[in-house]
Amino acid sequence: MLAFLGRRILIAIPTVFLISVFVFTLQHLLPGDPILVMAGEERDPEIIAALREKYRMNDPITVQYLAWAGNALQGDLGISLRTQQPVLELIAEKLPVTIQLAVMALIIAILIGIPAGVLSAYKKGTWIDWLANIIALSGLSVPNFWLGIMLILLVSVRLGWLPASGYLPLSEDPLQSIRVMVMPAFVLGTALAATLMRHTRSAMLSVLKSDYVRTARAKGLREGVVLVKHALRNALVPVVTVITLLFGELLAGAVLTEQIFTIPGFGKLVVDAVFNRDYAVVQGIVLCTGIAFIAMNILADAAYRVLNPRMSDQ
Amino acid sequence: MTDPSPLLDVRGLSIRVAGTAEPLVDNVSFTLNAGETLCIVGESGCGKSLTALALMGLLEGTPLRVERGSAMFQGIDLLSAAPDVLRGLRGDRAAMIFQEPMTSLNPALRIGEQIAEAVRAHRDIPRDAARARAAEMLQRVRIPAAGKRLDEYPHQLSGGMRQRVMIAMALANDPALLIADEPTTALDVTIQAQILDLMRNLGAETGTAQIMITHDLGVVAEMADKVAVMYAGRIVEAGTTAQVFDDPQHPYTLGLMSSMPSLAGDQGRLVTIPGSVPSPDDMPRGCRFAARCPFATAQCEAPPPLAPRGTGHAVACWHAPLEDFAVGQRREVPA
Repeated sequence: MLAFLGRRILIAIPTVFLISVFVFTLQHLLPGDPILVMAGEERDPEIIAALREKYRMNDPITVQYLAWAGNALQGDLGISLRTQQPVLELIAEKLPVTIQLAVMALIIAILIGIPAGVLSAYKKGTWIDWLANIIALSGLSVPNFWLGIMLILLVSVRLGWLPASGYLPLSEDPLQSIRVMVMPAFVLGTALAATLMRHTRSAMLSVLKSDYVRTARAKGLREGVVLVKHALRNALVPVVTVITLLFGELLAGAVLTEQIFTIPGFGKLVVDAVFNRDYAVVQGIVLCTGIAFIAMNILADAAYRVLNPRMSDQ
Repeated sequence: MTDPSPLLDVRGLSIRVAGTAEPLVDNVSFTLNAGETLCIVGESGCGKSLTALALMGLLEGTPLRVERGSAMFQGIDLLSAAPDVLRGLRGDRAAMIFQEPMTSLNPALRIGEQIAEAVRAHRDIPRDAARARAAEMLQRVRIPAAGKRLDEYPHQLSGGMRQRVMIAMALANDPALLIADEPTTALDVTIQAQILDLMRNLGAETGTAQIMITHDLGVVAEMADKVAVMYAGRIVEAGTTAQVFDDPQHPYTLGLMSSMPSLAGDQGRLVTIPGSVPSPDDMPRGCRFAARCPFATAQCEAPPPLAPRGTGHAVACWHAPLEDFAVGQRREVPA
């Protein structure tokens, strides 16, 4: 397993390099000039020239890339053009918030999606299957922002059960922190639960037809054991891929939910950075997201090998 | 067949797909005594596997339903018992092995665990005792280095080894009845002989009665005490192996026998039975073999009953014994 992980990480290096080149060049192809944004209303040519010099905007793009990549390797992603804070510090500050949100959303999605998928495959064609599918379809169709607003109206405003917005670090007051985050996590999680349910259902349907499930029944095992130990374990292999990809998406895609619940997370950082043409921050964020995706893929492959012993020999 | 209390007594078993006119398995009856081996022989789709699955209560989740019949096994009717009762029986007093050893074992679980869980499903014993039993069973099915194999996964074993594991799993609780559905069909010929040998020896050692389902007359000759020949969902001939092989009475059985290649004879071309099996949604009401039968007459439009022809031998043909049938009356069957 360790050799496998080492190999996968080595293979990931060129991928990260390509991402960094993409990130860097695409940024510079975009219209708009961050220096003009910084220089303010007057656009004093002297100030603009000084700023260009300061941020090495006059160097050839390759030199700029090498300087940026060299620093990045040492953990220096540059300084935000807008807030003058180091980019890494900004990310380190916001990322845990979004990770907490994503993890909670994923847990909610797994707790709803996988059992619902198993049940609807097992009860295929019955009213239970129909109900699960209808709920899943609504989960996919209802826009996050609408569900978020409705939940705030009902749970916070009407019933006053949960706070409508805000954020509290997990380290300060774990219970309260989870309470604040439950509603946004639920909003994010429902759409994922629907996706997971559909994938679990189709994987279970094919596994339930397999010969080894028939063997398990022929042994006289209880249906619960047949379903979980024999069927679900094998059906999880494709579902795990979906889960890891979803998690990567969650990290990058919690923007709307974070806006609605005013959570100071990664999504808000992205939006602010893009609107302010804060190159350094956008580059840092895209790079981090890319690395997160790669890490999740490696994790997914590692999970396969645990679930599917046939792969461990290769 | 005259034993007053056979181990398994199947009467009038019919299986039907909901909404079709004629049943897929029609009025199948046979008995099996303790320690006996019965071979059910017939070509693909004749309903032999369905019969086995129905007896094990494994038709659940398919569109197939047992329509009529009873199957008394140790005081329980396998066809009408509650699912929980059947579950308690399965893998314990009645076990089954399947055709495809490659796909019949769970790829994600170690084989030791797969055998041990069969034991623990029916006996309240600790994990290590179940594991010890699994190791013992692997030894019984002559798997070398059994102790080490416990922790291997199915993909690490050959097809023959996997079928041995399936047999070990099925016999782990000393069942009174073992149903084997084409256990050697998916294996190489040399391995087939080994597995058949093993099953015969284990049958003799444990006294487990076996129903072996096959399309291979060689397997029948090797294994069976009794034979039931099935065609298109009905038993057309039943008897002891000697009766059926030496004195086949049904035209289909005759056809099967003459289509078997022989090492001794200089037969030239192999004989085939003209025509093909009727499709499930177009089953004739009368004799289901009539369309392919050189002896068919107008009488065959009525279904022939499985009528006794001497002790233990029964044939479902209006014209049996065929010796009485005038040679000139044979007709040409369109191919």
